[in-house]
Amino acid sequence: MPKGKHISYIIINAVVFIILEVAALGMLSHSGTVQNFWITRGIHAMQSWLWGGTESVRYYFSLKSQNDRLAEENFRLAQTVRYYRMITGKDYATDISTSADTVGDYRYIHATITKLGNNSQHNYMIVGKGYEDGVEERSGLITGQGAIGIIDAVSRHYSYALSFRNSGISISARIGREGPVGSLRWDGRTSHGAVLSEIPHHIRIEPGDTVYTSGYSSIFPPDIPLGITGEYRIVNGATYEIRISLLEDFSKLRYVTIVNNIARQELEELEER
Amino acid sequence: MKTTQHFGLLYVMAAIVQIIICNYFHLSAYITLSILPAMILCIPMNVGTVPAMLIAFGSGLAVDALAEGLIGLNALAAVPVAFFRKPLVRLIFGEDVIEREGSISFRKYGPLKISAAVLVVQAVFLAIYIMADGAGTRPFWFNAARFGASVAAGWALSMVTAGVLLPDDKK
Repeated sequence: MPKGKHISYIIINAVVFIILEVAALGMLSHSGTVQNFWITRGIHAMQSWLWGGTESVRYYFSLKSQNDRLAEENFRLAQTVRYYRMITGKDYATDISTSADTVGDYRYIHATITKLGNNSQHNYMIVGKGYEDGVEERSGLITGQGAIGIIDAVSRHYSYALSFRNSGISISARIGREGPVGSLRWDGRTSHGAVLSEIPHHIRIEPGDTVYTSGYSSIFPPDIPLGITGEYRIVNGATYEIRISLLEDFSKLRYVTIVNNIARQELEELEER
Repeated sequence: MKTTQHFGLLYVMAAIVQIIICNYFHLSAYITLSILPAMILCIPMNVGTVPAMLIAFGSGLAVDALAEGLIGLNALAAVPVAFFRKPLVRLIFGEDVIEREGSISFRKYGPLKISAAVLVVQAVFLAIYIMADGAGTRPFWFNAARFGASVAAGWALSMVTAGVLLPDDKK
């Protein structure tokens, strides 16, 4: 058999083999619950492996910009520490009284994003930490430039998070550190755009103000910068709707911090009474 | 004398026997009796890999549908046997049988070589069958014991099936 014909013969055999096996697996998954779970678990494991591989390649080619960004963030943090050291005269490096990952009521876990969906109205993320690492459902996802999502489901090694760029998510946000509080949600159209609503219309709004998390939700700690205020308009004659330019670039997300409110259960029990 | 024309009829009869085995011969939880892999091995070499895979898929589905079982389970395990049939025949019986597109026979190749081929196809089939049937819910030792017992029990039955399906070469 000529070489070219032999190769096409092998390819046809392999394609028919794959089609028949996929068909058999499809039928099997519909005919048994246990088999359905087993096949679904296998598919998810394969997807995670594939996504991990492609993300590693993407990450490799974005190392320089990631490095620049980390260096910038490191510098900002060092400046903050220097500032507090100067005004208090304390050395914060030797004054950590809580465990390393817990500050106040919040526990912080460093994680990387394994899969990032950015192209639909219901964007999501797969984060490379699971319940074995202490991640819980309804934990927040933050970076130095904003709150970026909420953990929705947790498996052993991975977590499924709803991105802030998901039409079903809103975050309690405040204009400035002591300003009015409203509800911030993605505008659903642009990569950097969000809308802050429910701000009383008697408040004076200045374009260019920074918007922070309010700390009123049990998910995100207060004072995480989210974005910058822009144009605004009055809605229903009662409240302002303000356009916000988000600080975080969602297309370049790689390193995130999972934040878990350790007092959330107590707060929720109190609310239920 | 058995001819290629008769093979189709014999294959259908063997498939009916497999359906009867699946429905009425439950020896133990550790034993899965199957002659499907031997049936697929005996498909004449003038039938290509793609038609053989389709025959395996069809007969697997027929057994799944007409015997009490999960739809797709026998088909899932049978298709790889058909896929690896020609490379296995080439490995055990040599290139000659592939080139002249004939059939393997007890008279020409002897029971030892046919027995080895039957064991390999049984192992491939049962490994996939037992893994998919257990779906990760059964311990390894159970699957291993089931695999060993099923290969041993299925081998004897498969040799009989091969004796019926393969041409006898008697003139």
